[in-house]
Amino acid sequence: MSKVYNWQIGREMEYPYEAARPVKQFGLVMDLNKCIACQTCTVACKTTWTPGRGQEYMFWNNVESKPYGYYPLGWDVNILEKLGVQDVSTPVYGGKTLFEAAPDGEPVLGYLPDDLDYAHPNIGEDDSFGDMPRGAFLSAPHMQWMYYLPRICNHCTYPACLGSCPRQSIYKRPEDGIVLIDQTRCRGYRECVKGCPYKKTFFNPMTRVSEKCIGCYPAVEGGRQTQCTITCIGKIRLQGYVSRHDEVREDNPIDYIVHVTKLARPLYPQFGLEPNVYYIPPVHVPSRFLTQMFGWGVEQAIATYRTASQDRKLLGALLLFGATPQIIHRYRVQGDKTIGYDEKGVEIVRVPLKEPIFMRVAFDEKYQTQRSNMT
Amino acid sequence: MGPANRRGSRRAFLEMAAAAGLVAAAAPRKVFAQPRYLEPVRVDNPLAAYPDRDWERLYRDIFRHDKTFVFLCCPNDTHNCLLKAYVKNDVVVRIEPTYGYGKAQDLYGNQASHRWDPRCCQKGLVLARRFYGDRRINGALLRKGFKEWVDRGFPRDSKTGAAPGELMRRGWDQWIRVDHAVAFRYHAKALENIARTYSGDQGKNFLLAQGYDPDSVSQVGDAGTRVMKFRGGMAKQGATRIFGAFRMGNSMALLDHYVRGVAPDQAKGAGSWDSYSFHTDLPPGHPMVTGEQTNDFELMDVENAKLIIVWGMNWITTKMPDSHWLTEARLKGAKTVAVTVEYSATASKCDDVIVIRPGSDPAFALGLAQVIIAEGAYDENFVKRNTDLVSLVRMDTLERLRASDIIAEHADAPLSNWAQVVPKGKYAPPTLVQRGMQVPEAMVGEFPDFVVWDRVRNRPVAVGHDLVGAKFEETGIDAALDGRFEITTVDGKKIQVRTVFDLTREYLDENMTPEQVESVTWAPAAATRSLAREISANSGKTLVAVGMGPNQFWNNDNKDRALFLITALTGSLGRHGGNIGSYAGTYKNTLFSGVPRYTYEDPFNLQLDPTGPVTSHVYLRPESMHFWANGERIMKAGNKTITTGAHLPTPTKSIWQVNSNSSLGNQKGFYDVVFNTLPRVELVVYNEWWWTTSCEFSDIVYGVDSWMEFKHPDFTASNTNPFFQAFPRSPIPRSFRTVSDIETYLGVARELSKNTGDARFEQMWQFVAENRVDVYLQRIIDGSTPLRGYRFEDIEQLAKLGIPALMNTRTYPRINSYEQVAESKPWYTRTGRLEFYRPEAEFIEAGENLTVHREPADATFYDPCAILAAPHPAMRPRGPADWGIAADDRSHIARQMRNTTYDSAALLATRHPLRDRGWDHIFHTPKYRHGAHTMPIDTDYMAALFGPFGDMYRRDKRAPGTGEMYVDINPLDARSLGINDGDYVWIDGDPNDLPFRGWQDPARKHEYKVARLLARARYYPGTPAGVTRMWFNGYMATPSSVKAHESRPDGAAKSEFTNYQALFRYGGHQSLTRSWLKPTHQTQSLITRKSWTNEVTKGFNVDVHCVTSAPRESIAKFAKAEDGGIGGKGLWRPVMLGLRPATENEALKRYLSGAFVRFDKM
Repeated sequence: MSKVYNWQIGREMEYPYEAARPVKQFGLVMDLNKCIACQTCTVACKTTWTPGRGQEYMFWNNVESKPYGYYPLGWDVNILEKLGVQDVSTPVYGGKTLFEAAPDGEPVLGYLPDDLDYAHPNIGEDDSFGDMPRGAFLSAPHMQWMYYLPRICNHCTYPACLGSCPRQSIYKRPEDGIVLIDQTRCRGYRECVKGCPYKKTFFNPMTRVSEKCIGCYPAVEGGRQTQCTITCIGKIRLQGYVSRHDEVREDNPIDYIVHVTKLARPLYPQFGLEPNVYYIPPVHVPSRFLTQMFGWGVEQAIATYRTASQDRKLLGALLLFGATPQIIHRYRVQGDKTIGYDEKGVEIVRVPLKEPIFMRVAFDEKYQTQRSNMT
Repeated sequence: MGPANRRGSRRAFLEMAAAAGLVAAAAPRKVFAQPRYLEPVRVDNPLAAYPDRDWERLYRDIFRHDKTFVFLCCPNDTHNCLLKAYVKNDVVVRIEPTYGYGKAQDLYGNQASHRWDPRCCQKGLVLARRFYGDRRINGALLRKGFKEWVDRGFPRDSKTGAAPGELMRRGWDQWIRVDHAVAFRYHAKALENIARTYSGDQGKNFLLAQGYDPDSVSQVGDAGTRVMKFRGGMAKQGATRIFGAFRMGNSMALLDHYVRGVAPDQAKGAGSWDSYSFHTDLPPGHPMVTGEQTNDFELMDVENAKLIIVWGMNWITTKMPDSHWLTEARLKGAKTVAVTVEYSATASKCDDVIVIRPGSDPAFALGLAQVIIAEGAYDENFVKRNTDLVSLVRMDTLERLRASDIIAEHADAPLSNWAQVVPKGKYAPPTLVQRGMQVPEAMVGEFPDFVVWDRVRNRPVAVGHDLVGAKFEETGIDAALDGRFEITTVDGKKIQVRTVFDLTREYLDENMTPEQVESVTWAPAAATRSLAREISANSGKTLVAVGMGPNQFWNNDNKDRALFLITALTGSLGRHGGNIGSYAGTYKNTLFSGVPRYTYEDPFNLQLDPTGPVTSHVYLRPESMHFWANGERIMKAGNKTITTGAHLPTPTKSIWQVNSNSSLGNQKGFYDVVFNTLPRVELVVYNEWWWTTSCEFSDIVYGVDSWMEFKHPDFTASNTNPFFQAFPRSPIPRSFRTVSDIETYLGVARELSKNTGDARFEQMWQFVAENRVDVYLQRIIDGSTPLRGYRFEDIEQLAKLGIPALMNTRTYPRINSYEQVAESKPWYTRTGRLEFYRPEAEFIEAGENLTVHREPADATFYDPCAILAAPHPAMRPRGPADWGIAADDRSHIARQMRNTTYDSAALLATRHPLRDRGWDHIFHTPKYRHGAHTMPIDTDYMAALFGPFGDMYRRDKRAPGTGEMYVDINPLDARSLGINDGDYVWIDGDPNDLPFRGWQDPARKHEYKVARLLARARYYPGTPAGVTRMWFNGYMATPSSVKAHESRPDGAAKSEFTNYQALFRYGGHQSLTRSWLKPTHQTQSLITRKSWTNEVTKGFNVDVHCVTSAPRESIAKFAKAEDGGIGGKGLWRPVMLGLRPATENEALKRYLSGAFVRFDKM
């Protein structure tokens, strides 16, 4: 075990390998206030990457309804129960990570799901917490609630799958931080399936090796965002690169959302993997549950979201979601527009903070017709 | 080696898994657990470096493609998306959005932004699995019995003329695959035979002998073509290929001309069926308030609102590509409120959530109005300028007081504000150049001056149709809102008059205080007060988006009128950011105002020069399909007939439908229709590209092209977004033997030309034969006000790049009532104003002259159809005794004509007639995210993701497919019925006539087995006790799917030969529905605007003023059928593990309370 620094828990922790941060780190922000659970991302991923034999049950990207949705069944309840109650009061995490809580001789605390746990990929869809009285009047936070949680591989800084692989068949790409399972070297031991607390590696019973979300590297290598991002009609996703916590760039929209405003939070940071998918917490959900899932600072994030309309820079970053299939490296707000640029600084998209109203003539002399809103 | 011998071997597993693409036969769980341990290889630090990465080529190869092309995905979801297909080795391997929406421009250079991108959804991205799927229709199919009937020369009963019943066994019969050309021959022959059989006296006698209602038979008028029904469903989805069904129906006048030998001006075309009103998408109260089919706004207008009320609309699941406008409006500071009957997906995106009893929407809306008026928080100026609330009502007759009633020799003001009279014998000018409302001379008397009480002059004064908005203000009249006055009429009679406002307020104060509303609707009184105050505080900036949920209850017009009252009181109407809209269906055909140039082109006088002028003549007779779906029964009870005149349907002997699975396969009262009504029809034809439930019950099924392989271009547009979109021609070859929809018309027309010797049948489709469909498309463009100026070829070229064009409506976003409010033009009503009083006799008889609440027709715990009203001087409804209806007759038809009133306390003391017999649950069937109607939910991935019971491997052989339909039920409620989460349950509707009339007959038990609904129950904590929900989208059980489910070794409900895939084992969500025919939807007196023109009309107006039914509402009885565990053994596994609502294990309980972390106050 080595000592590595995990900024999400504000301290050093144990990990099977020495820290080695990539040149760029794949990052993804998801605004849960906008996710509609349409599963377009799921189908985009499935039709692109996992339509084959042995992959039927496999959803590298899935969307689950919280609190009763889980794929595989009970994944986070199970690992939280194994880890036990932990203290998340402060920016410096006072509890144990999964690496620190690992049984003797094992790299990480984990468990292997039953095959049947993967049977119902959308169990719990729209099931809400709390019983509904005959009529109701709810104001935020809602006393009955549910929200949608889309999930892909977190391409963690300290991946448990990588740390668990007895064959070192899993690696993190230095150029973009994407975590891959070498399909030619893997022998299907399923230690990664056991080790990944997010259960985002999958055993393929036909090829007899494990596989996982590849961060759409064939697209990303060409400057394009992932399939799940470019098809996201809720416009909840922005994929690009997240800077190191100590090298923050304010003009990187992901940095602005993750590091500057701290609006987006990692999923179960207490696990200690430093995941690189960041979630803007849903503002209608009681914060206690959200703190369990997104860690310290949730209430502050909700307050920031509620006043986002007053921070044009933040609004500008948030309205770039879904505006272009290309990866945005820099952005700025100019007048009533927000503009995204590629890695070379070339403008790739420009959208208004408010869609304008256009008025047309009541009678078009050129074409000899009325222009009406009626018929 | 047979399959049984191979079971268990590895090879067998491989083969089975290969088949798992659609329905897998076995679970590979045994294989999961066999890791092969080999010697590990060391890599120093895989976080830092990895030695050999050549293998990464693998995924780059998968991602690579040879070419792409763009097609338009256009299910009935009201959006329409240009999608980019990626092709490898000539196979479409994946689909993506085009990101072209931000490039869309109008004729003036205005451009949409990339805030519109991406546009697609999971239903579109899964299409590649569907375009090559095993339910594609290859060639054409003829039903065996039908073929025999034709081959034997159309034998008929000599007395009744009916076709032999044993040859009309649709759903139970076999299929014969033929070339399209063969099917065209059979089709044309049958059309001619039916036209001939039912023409003249013989036809009339046959129809009466077959038991058709004489009122219906009277509408046939000697022309056998009138018993044929043509329908292009959601026709706006295909300007030429779907509207072509109506063009084909119009051309049946040629057949009538041939069969009866009548002159062209005496010839009659076919009947046509409605679409928007048939789907119960029409909000029927909109025309009652505005004269307009539907008042709405493009959804992106939420950008301009401060308060957004999403009412009975699951926007998040049904308007998916436009959901971001809602969530972004909230992000930018607008307040969002859901009015809903459960904790819905949309509730999770709203700041406030108000849960009400299903079908109590009119009462909740009126409660809001009560608070707004009682607190004086209305916009008095807006009300006086724009509404009839200031007009005076005669308390003796309950009619609106006319100026001529009190002013001797009063001459009504001429119609001059944005209105013209069309002289008798003349046609209105083309819509393109109409300058406002067109009033046929004979109707001028329908727009008399009304009277308000002028507080300045302290006397009644006449107000004309013209005086709306600023024009009224210029008169200096200060119209009284309050007040009861005594007035002397010109004949010397002293009468009491009161303002509509005053009468309305009395009704509200007596019946709709927040506390009364709480007792009736379940909405806490605090919610009513809070929302009413928010609406007042955001006067002019409140948008109300109303969905199809409440629209699909019987009291849908009451709901519309009540909601308009709120928005009119607060000036949130006709303004950007302040308006009301109703969202269901693909409508606004009216914006393609040039469509009649195509559908009604005179078949006797065809224009074969591509650029020449077109002559139109309407030979079609439109009617509502609801009467047919109601067992061809019209609305009559006791001694009263409600359905009269143009509302009357003709008998139906022939059906041809295009783009219409909803109309048969997803029909309300489905099993009654297919088992009782359909057998009386002699020809049923469907065009489909995928084998649907409708195909199961057809005689001829034409396999047609999917969107991905169109060989003829087309175009469409939506009502919720501003895009004008072409279906571009596809560069890829057809994968199956299919033709275009539009080629089916040509094919049948050719046969009719051959048989009759009249070349005009075929010439109707000359530009199809010449591969010049663009000629028709350009004609429609040139005649449509938002399109004129575009060249179709340009639109198609842009579409090939993934870029749509913008509709050139007056404003972007388009909002209804804009011209009225901003420019003081009249609405299409008698007063020119928004009307909240309906003085027509039909409304007075129904007790609905004022805006009132009525109970649903079936989905209520109380007396169905009851009017909530304490005694009121302006309410004089006709009761059962007035019409000779038995005092306790609450049968299906009679209950809708009872018009019984109760005050709120008395209403709550009543009981639905079935409640004492165990029918204790409201059952409603809204739409959901996984299907646009039924598209594409039977596709393996979609079914697996549809709710909690999906399983790609179908481990439980009872599952009909990789997923199945289920009913959502409150956990405590279910427990009290002994139902566990995941169990199968029987769900029964009104036993008097559901699932079909006659089900009790032992001889029909095989039909009953197919029709009785069996589905899984899901514990759903978000629904109140007593309220259950089943999603609308599943393919229902049919005779062939039931046979498959019971006989296939794998148990799948997937039919032999056609591969029809049901998502129910037995029955379906329509097992519990019936048609409802509300009297106020079928008046002879309401004034409305016709589609495609500014011309007004009176009475029946297809898709504007006609019956809408109420398919969402039922009362149901539940009983446990089978355990939920695999194979019916024990509990469903997730329940057993304690991971489901109401059965949580300790860990889940801790999880739910957030107790796996400890934290001080953050």
